[in-house]
Amino acid sequence: MLFVGSGRKGPGPFVLACLSYGLPLIFIIAPLASFLTYSFFHMENGQIVRGFSLANYQRFFTDAIFIPVLWRTCVLCFSVAALATLIGFPVAFLLSTLKGRMRYYLLLMVLVPLLMSYIIKIYSIRSILGGNGFLNRFLLWTGLIEKPLTLFVFNLNAVLLTLTVLLIPFAILPIFLSLERIPRTLIDASSDLGASGLQTFVRIVLPLSLPGVITAATFVFVLAIGDFLTPQMVGGQSGFTFGRIVYSQFGTAFNWPFGAALSAILAVVVIAVIAAGGRFNRQRP
Amino acid sequence: MTFKLNRRTALGMALAAPAILRSTSAFAAGELRVMAWEGYADDDWVKEFESESGAKVNVVFIGTDDEIWAKIKGSEGKDFDVFAVNTAQLQRYIDGGLTTPHDLAKIPNQQMVLPRFRDLSQVKGVMRDGKVHAIPFCFDSIGLIYDKDKVNPPPDSFEIFWDPKYKGKILAYDNGEHNFSFTALTMGIEDPFHLSDEQMAKIKDKLIALKQNVLSFYTTPDEALQLYKNNDVALIWANYGQQQVKAMKDAGANIEYVNPKEGALAWLDTWAMTNGVQDVDLAEAWVNFLLQKKISGQLSERTGFGNTVVETGSAGANDKLVWLDFVEDPTKRSDLWNEIKAQP
Repeated sequence: MLFVGSGRKGPGPFVLACLSYGLPLIFIIAPLASFLTYSFFHMENGQIVRGFSLANYQRFFTDAIFIPVLWRTCVLCFSVAALATLIGFPVAFLLSTLKGRMRYYLLLMVLVPLLMSYIIKIYSIRSILGGNGFLNRFLLWTGLIEKPLTLFVFNLNAVLLTLTVLLIPFAILPIFLSLERIPRTLIDASSDLGASGLQTFVRIVLPLSLPGVITAATFVFVLAIGDFLTPQMVGGQSGFTFGRIVYSQFGTAFNWPFGAALSAILAVVVIAVIAAGGRFNRQRP
Repeated sequence: MTFKLNRRTALGMALAAPAILRSTSAFAAGELRVMAWEGYADDDWVKEFESESGAKVNVVFIGTDDEIWAKIKGSEGKDFDVFAVNTAQLQRYIDGGLTTPHDLAKIPNQQMVLPRFRDLSQVKGVMRDGKVHAIPFCFDSIGLIYDKDKVNPPPDSFEIFWDPKYKGKILAYDNGEHNFSFTALTMGIEDPFHLSDEQMAKIKDKLIALKQNVLSFYTTPDEALQLYKNNDVALIWANYGQQQVKAMKDAGANIEYVNPKEGALAWLDTWAMTNGVQDVDLAEAWVNFLLQKKISGQLSERTGFGNTVVETGSAGANDKLVWLDFVEDPTKRSDLWNEIKAQP
């Protein structure tokens, strides 16, 4: 119960309770419910027909393009999550070993990119990755390569790299918080008992930070799978993802019911991933 | 209700308010109510027309095709005398009886326009049952931009988009509807807006081949320019026509624009009179006034679009233009386009 023990009678707590339940209801639950409802409608002659139908879901499972694209998108986003976590961990670890103000200053530096517009970041990454982009010109200048690489020019690799770069801050934060929560005394005890730095890290720090790592990976996965803009901007002709299919249903195809059904399916995937992450964390001692 | 607020609509609202108020009161003679896209009724032209005609002109600017429909249909044509509309959209106004045919005798300047626009029976969509429902005013084509340093000899067909020599050096546009239409033209299909299932299947295969050859599908002119700057791009499908050419030339690109010989898709905006037109002579005078060399030339200088009176970069005298029309099934084209993009 939310307000038990406040000791104060009157309308205040009641209003607060209404707000705290009502706002999410209006702004989160209701829109989601309307989405779900739309997914059971269907289109006829360019008009939305408001009657119950499973046609959209049937189409998802029978049409040959949707499941492969969803699968490819999931693989891509798992890779993004793995990469972001792998890169984020050392950074978070370094931050957690720093003392005093320094760690928070540096943490702030890590989070500064989040203040910047998403679009601007994608645009700048595009000018880094392009065929004559900064990266290729730099590599040519150093003499490491003789002609521009196409490895990261507008394909799925570019999407992977861009999403990873954009989402790393979201990986660092949960890992940092879990590392920060490890009691100093445990680490001291470990070294008092003669464990080497590496042993302490592998046997104490790593297992205790795992919940943070899982949270980070889940976080990044969920953000990556909902993104349709990055694949559009850096994916070129091969970077077609599920988000872009959903997007097109609301734009050019003007098939809102089908778009809603695809979103509902995407939501199921996201919920499953979050649940798996949560379950993993709960099972750990 | 969806409501997008941009400069155009904001301006439109500011100007629309007095127009709506007035529409209920009796009209003084010599007042012309114009609905137009920005750039089609500039202040200096309006002032000049007012002093020539002695009438008062009220312009409402609109931002989308749907907005024009909402305002004209909403008032059953009573709130405006003359409005700008493209040839594809025009059809539903004619269907709904919302237009008044023009009397060409009152628009002598129409006799001086470019040959392409002189015989209105040759301009698809503006005539119905022998009557002229709209006068062409402004257009642009969707041609081919090529980099002069990289493409030699100059291309004359979109067929070059399938040339393996330019693999990874092509920017195409991310829109199924247009891509099916232009590929149909490239394949020699007469009516690219009404395709049979069999034709669509063939075009789909051809678009899958196109996909393998392009670097990326862009959506905005800025995006195309940025891609051009940072990559080895030789050819661009110029959805934004002259606007895009100008932006690229301003950025120092050594490019040229060409309409393909199989025909370039093009949009055409026209002037139509509403069924509620108060003073037909005044409305015709307005259209006639705009069809002067000076005004139409200024229109192209200011907007970059082609006009019907003076030659511009949008189209040479002998270029084949195919006026855009509604397609048989936009949803189907969009679904097929997704399938094409989903090909590994």
